[in-house]
Amino acid sequence: MANRSASRSFSAVDAVIRAGIVALILGTAYIHSTLGGLLFTLNAAGYVVAAIAMIAPIALASRFRWVIRVGLVGYAAATIVGWAVQGPYFSTAYIAKAIEVALIAVVAVDFIRFDGNPIALVRRELSSGMAFVRARRAAAAA
Amino acid sequence: MKRLATTLTLVALAAVLAACSGTSAAPTAAPSADPDALRISSKDLTFSTDKLVAPAGEAFQIVYDNQESAPHNVAIYADQGYSQKVLVEEPFSGPKVVTYSVPALDAGTYYFRCDLHTNMKGTIEVE
Repeated sequence: MANRSASRSFSAVDAVIRAGIVALILGTAYIHSTLGGLLFTLNAAGYVVAAIAMIAPIALASRFRWVIRVGLVGYAAATIVGWAVQGPYFSTAYIAKAIEVALIAVVAVDFIRFDGNPIALVRRELSSGMAFVRARRAAAAA
Repeated sequence: MKRLATTLTLVALAAVLAACSGTSAAPTAAPSADPDALRISSKDLTFSTDKLVAPAGEAFQIVYDNQESAPHNVAIYADQGYSQKVLVEEPFSGPKVVTYSVPALDAGTYYFRCDLHTNMKGTIEVE
Protein backbone atom coordinates (compact mmCIF):
# COMPACT_ATOMS: atom_id res chain seq x y z
CA MET A 1 0.00 0.00 0.00
CA ALA A 2 2.17 2.85 -1.22
CA ASN A 3 1.11 6.14 0.27
CA ARG A 4 2.43 9.53 -0.80
CA SER A 5 1.48 11.15 2.50
CA ALA A 6 3.39 8.65 4.62
CA SER A 7 6.50 8.50 2.43
CA ARG A 8 6.94 12.24 1.72
CA SER A 9 9.68 14.06 3.65
CA PHE A 10 8.66 16.85 6.05
CA SER A 11 10.03 20.30 5.16
CA ALA A 12 10.19 23.56 7.12
CA VAL A 13 7.26 24.92 5.12
CA ASP A 14 5.27 21.81 6.02
CA ALA A 15 6.08 22.43 9.68
CA VAL A 16 4.85 26.02 9.45
CA ILE A 17 1.62 24.93 7.73
CA ARG A 18 1.03 22.17 10.28
CA ALA A 19 1.66 24.60 13.14
CA GLY A 20 -0.78 27.02 11.54
CA ILE A 21 -3.42 24.32 11.31
CA VAL A 22 -2.97 23.40 14.96
CA ALA A 23 -3.11 27.08 15.98
CA LEU A 24 -6.31 27.66 14.03
CA ILE A 25 -7.90 24.48 15.43
CA LEU A 26 -7.01 25.42 18.99
CA GLY A 27 -8.22 28.97 18.40
CA THR A 28 -11.71 27.94 17.37
CA ALA A 29 -11.72 25.16 19.99
CA TYR A 30 -10.95 27.72 22.68
CA ILE A 31 -13.74 30.03 21.54
CA HIS A 32 -16.26 27.18 21.53
CA SER A 33 -15.07 25.97 24.94
CA THR A 34 -15.88 29.36 26.47
CA LEU A 35 -19.47 29.41 25.24
CA GLY A 36 -20.83 26.89 27.74
CA GLY A 37 -23.37 24.15 27.09
CA LEU A 38 -22.91 20.58 25.90
CA LEU A 39 -23.00 21.27 22.15
CA PHE A 40 -20.25 23.88 22.21
CA THR A 41 -18.14 21.83 24.62
CA LEU A 42 -18.39 18.74 22.41
CA ASN A 43 -17.52 20.86 19.39
CA ALA A 44 -14.41 22.14 21.17
CA ALA A 45 -13.47 18.61 22.22
CA GLY A 46 -13.81 17.43 18.62
CA TYR A 47 -11.44 20.15 17.47
CA VAL A 48 -8.89 19.23 20.14
CA VAL A 49 -9.00 15.58 19.03
CA ALA A 50 -8.48 16.74 15.43
CA ALA A 51 -5.48 18.86 16.50
CA ILE A 52 -3.92 15.84 18.20
CA ALA A 53 -4.62 13.65 15.17
CA MET A 54 -2.98 16.20 12.87
CA ILE A 55 0.34 16.03 14.70
CA ALA A 56 0.35 12.59 16.32
CA PRO A 57 3.65 10.98 15.27
CA ILE A 58 2.22 7.46 15.23
CA ALA A 59 2.32 5.37 12.06
CA LEU A 60 -1.42 4.85 11.79
CA ALA A 61 -2.12 8.59 12.02
CA SER A 62 0.57 9.33 9.44
CA ARG A 63 -0.73 6.65 7.09
CA PHE A 64 -4.29 7.98 7.23
CA ARG A 65 -3.55 11.67 7.71
CA TRP A 66 -5.49 12.38 4.53
CA VAL A 67 -8.62 10.96 6.17
CA ILE A 68 -8.01 13.24 9.13
CA ARG A 69 -7.63 16.23 6.78
CA VAL A 70 -10.88 15.41 4.98
CA GLY A 71 -12.63 14.84 8.30
CA LEU A 72 -11.33 18.12 9.67
CA VAL A 73 -12.51 20.07 6.63
CA GLY A 74 -15.91 18.39 6.89
CA TYR A 75 -16.10 19.09 10.63
CA ALA A 76 -15.24 22.77 10.20
CA ALA A 77 -17.65 23.10 7.27
CA ALA A 78 -20.44 21.44 9.27
CA THR A 79 -19.75 23.83 12.16
CA ILE A 80 -19.98 26.81 9.82
CA VAL A 81 -23.19 25.56 8.20
CA GLY A 82 -24.72 24.83 11.62
CA TRP A 83 -23.95 28.37 12.74
CA ALA A 84 -25.22 29.87 9.48
CA VAL A 85 -28.54 28.08 9.95
CA GLN A 86 -29.02 28.67 13.66
CA GLY A 87 -26.82 31.66 14.57
CA PRO A 88 -26.40 33.63 16.72
CA TYR A 89 -24.65 36.28 14.69
CA PHE A 90 -22.37 38.20 17.03
CA SER A 91 -18.76 39.33 16.99
CA THR A 92 -17.19 36.30 18.68
CA ALA A 93 -19.06 33.99 16.30
CA TYR A 94 -17.75 35.91 13.29
CA ILE A 95 -14.20 35.53 14.62
CA ALA A 96 -14.70 31.79 15.10
CA LYS A 97 -16.12 31.41 11.59
CA ALA A 98 -13.25 33.40 10.08
CA ILE A 99 -10.82 31.07 11.85
CA GLU A 100 -12.71 28.04 10.52
CA VAL A 101 -12.70 29.35 6.95
CA ALA A 102 -8.95 29.97 7.23
CA LEU A 103 -8.55 26.50 8.71
CA ILE A 104 -10.31 24.89 5.75
CA ALA A 105 -8.07 26.82 3.34
CA VAL A 106 -4.84 25.88 5.13
CA VAL A 107 -5.87 22.22 5.48
CA ALA A 108 -6.64 22.21 1.75
CA VAL A 109 -3.11 23.49 1.06
CA ASP A 110 -1.69 20.83 3.39
CA PHE A 111 -3.75 18.17 1.63
CA ILE A 112 -2.52 19.18 -1.82
CA ARG A 113 1.10 19.33 -0.67
CA PHE A 114 1.00 15.89 0.92
CA ASP A 115 -1.66 13.97 -0.96
CA GLY A 116 -1.94 15.76 -4.31
CA ASN A 117 -5.06 15.45 -6.39
CA PRO A 118 -7.91 14.20 -4.17
CA ILE A 119 -9.48 12.21 -7.03
CA ALA A 120 -6.20 10.47 -7.75
CA LEU A 121 -5.85 9.77 -4.03
CA VAL A 122 -9.28 8.15 -3.85
CA ARG A 123 -8.46 6.00 -6.89
CA ARG A 124 -5.15 5.02 -5.31
CA GLU A 125 -6.79 4.10 -2.02
CA LEU A 126 -9.55 2.15 -3.77
CA SER A 127 -7.06 0.15 -5.79
CA SER A 128 -5.07 -0.52 -2.62
CA GLY A 129 -8.21 -1.68 -0.90
CA MET A 130 -9.18 -3.93 -3.79
CA ALA A 131 -5.70 -5.44 -3.87
CA PHE A 132 -5.97 -6.11 -0.13
CA VAL A 133 -9.36 -7.85 -0.58
CA ARG A 134 -8.02 -9.95 -3.46
CA ALA A 135 -5.02 -11.00 -1.40
CA ARG A 136 -7.29 -12.00 1.51
CA ARG A 137 -9.52 -14.06 -0.79
CA ALA A 138 -6.53 -15.77 -2.36
CA ALA A 139 -5.16 -16.58 1.07
CA ALA A 140 -8.53 -17.97 2.18
CA ALA A 141 -8.85 -20.10 -0.95
CA ALA A 142 -5.36 -21.56 -0.60
CA MET B 1 12.61 18.70 11.56
CA LYS B 2 10.25 17.22 14.15
CA ARG B 3 11.80 19.55 16.73
CA LEU B 4 11.07 22.51 14.44
CA ALA B 5 7.47 21.36 14.00
CA THR B 6 7.06 20.94 17.75
CA THR B 7 8.56 24.38 18.44
CA LEU B 8 6.35 26.07 15.85
CA THR B 9 3.30 24.29 17.19
CA LEU B 10 4.05 25.44 20.74
CA VAL B 11 4.66 29.02 19.55
CA ALA B 12 1.39 28.97 17.61
CA LEU B 13 -0.44 27.56 20.63
CA ALA B 14 0.96 30.31 22.85
CA ALA B 15 -0.10 32.94 20.31
CA VAL B 16 -3.62 31.55 20.17
CA LEU B 17 -3.95 31.45 23.94
CA ALA B 18 -2.65 35.00 24.21
CA ALA B 19 -5.03 36.22 21.52
CA CYS B 20 -7.98 34.48 23.09
CA SER B 21 -7.36 35.55 26.68
CA GLY B 22 -9.34 38.78 26.33
CA THR B 23 -13.02 39.06 27.06
CA SER B 24 -15.69 39.29 24.38
CA ALA B 25 -16.97 42.63 23.12
CA ALA B 26 -19.12 44.61 25.52
CA PRO B 27 -22.83 44.85 24.72
CA THR B 28 -24.28 48.19 23.74
CA ALA B 29 -26.93 48.22 26.43
CA ALA B 30 -27.41 51.30 28.61
CA PRO B 31 -25.17 51.28 31.71
CA SER B 32 -27.67 52.67 34.27
CA ALA B 33 -31.11 51.47 35.36
CA ASP B 34 -34.20 53.07 36.86
CA PRO B 35 -35.75 51.68 40.09
CA ASP B 36 -38.71 50.17 38.20
CA ALA B 37 -36.54 48.15 35.87
CA LEU B 38 -37.32 44.45 35.45
CA ARG B 39 -34.62 42.20 36.82
CA ILE B 40 -33.36 38.83 35.64
CA SER B 41 -30.18 36.88 36.21
CA SER B 42 -28.63 33.67 34.98
CA LYS B 43 -26.39 31.00 36.40
CA ASP B 44 -25.60 27.42 35.38
CA LEU B 45 -27.17 28.07 31.96
CA THR B 46 -30.54 28.88 33.54
CA PHE B 47 -32.45 32.16 33.79
CA SER B 48 -33.69 33.12 37.26
CA THR B 49 -37.23 33.41 35.89
CA ASP B 50 -39.13 32.38 32.80
CA LYS B 51 -41.73 35.15 33.09
CA LEU B 52 -41.42 38.92 33.19
CA VAL B 53 -44.26 41.45 33.33
CA ALA B 54 -43.90 44.90 31.73
CA PRO B 55 -46.20 47.90 31.27
CA ALA B 56 -47.83 48.41 27.87
CA GLY B 57 -47.20 51.54 25.86
CA GLU B 58 -44.18 52.79 27.71
CA ALA B 59 -40.48 52.12 27.43
CA PHE B 60 -38.94 50.07 30.22
CA GLN B 61 -35.60 48.63 31.24
CA ILE B 62 -34.39 45.12 31.97
CA VAL B 63 -31.42 44.69 34.29
CA TYR B 64 -29.69 41.46 33.36
CA ASP B 65 -27.11 39.98 35.72
CA ASN B 66 -25.05 37.30 34.00
CA GLN B 67 -23.40 35.51 36.90
CA GLU B 68 -21.25 33.06 34.94
CA SER B 69 -18.42 33.17 32.43
CA ALA B 70 -20.49 31.69 29.61
CA PRO B 71 -21.77 34.48 27.36
CA HIS B 72 -25.51 35.14 27.36
CA ASN B 73 -28.00 37.78 26.30
CA VAL B 74 -31.68 38.44 26.85
CA ALA B 75 -33.00 38.78 23.31
CA ILE B 76 -36.65 39.79 22.98
CA TYR B 77 -38.86 38.73 20.09
CA ALA B 78 -42.46 39.38 19.18
CA ASP B 79 -43.15 35.81 18.07
CA GLN B 80 -42.59 32.35 19.44
CA GLY B 81 -40.51 31.45 16.39
CA TYR B 82 -37.98 34.10 17.43
CA SER B 83 -37.96 35.71 13.99
CA GLN B 84 -39.41 39.18 14.77
CA LYS B 85 -36.74 40.99 16.74
CA VAL B 86 -37.78 43.53 19.37
CA LEU B 87 -34.42 43.93 21.10
CA VAL B 88 -31.37 41.83 20.40
CA GLU B 89 -28.02 42.74 21.90
CA GLU B 90 -24.75 40.81 21.73
CA PRO B 91 -24.19 38.03 24.25
CA PHE B 92 -21.62 38.95 26.90
CA SER B 93 -19.52 37.04 29.39
CA GLY B 94 -20.09 37.40 33.10
CA PRO B 95 -19.99 38.09 35.85
CA LYS B 96 -21.44 41.35 34.58
CA VAL B 97 -24.66 43.36 34.88
CA VAL B 98 -26.13 45.06 31.82
CA THR B 99 -29.22 47.23 31.47
CA TYR B 100 -31.31 46.86 28.36
CA SER B 101 -33.57 49.70 27.25
CA VAL B 102 -36.70 48.23 25.70
CA PRO B 103 -38.90 50.45 23.51
CA ALA B 104 -42.61 50.86 24.27
CA LEU B 105 -44.55 47.73 23.35
CA ASP B 106 -48.20 47.01 22.64
CA ALA B 107 -50.00 44.76 25.10
CA GLY B 108 -49.43 41.08 24.47
CA THR B 109 -47.02 38.24 24.98
CA TYR B 110 -43.41 38.58 23.89
CA TYR B 111 -40.68 35.99 24.04
CA PHE B 112 -37.15 36.22 25.35
CA ARG B 113 -34.25 33.83 25.17
CA CYS B 114 -30.49 33.60 25.19
CA ASP B 115 -29.58 33.48 21.52
CA LEU B 116 -26.58 31.32 22.28
CA HIS B 117 -28.30 28.77 24.54
CA THR B 118 -31.80 28.63 23.13
CA ASN B 119 -33.13 26.39 25.91
CA MET B 120 -32.79 29.45 28.17
CA LYS B 121 -36.08 31.20 27.43
CA GLY B 122 -39.23 32.73 28.82
CA THR B 123 -42.04 35.17 28.14
CA ILE B 124 -42.67 38.85 28.76
CA GLU B 125 -46.28 39.70 29.44
CA VAL B 126 -46.88 43.29 28.41
CA GLU B 127 -50.14 44.53 29.98
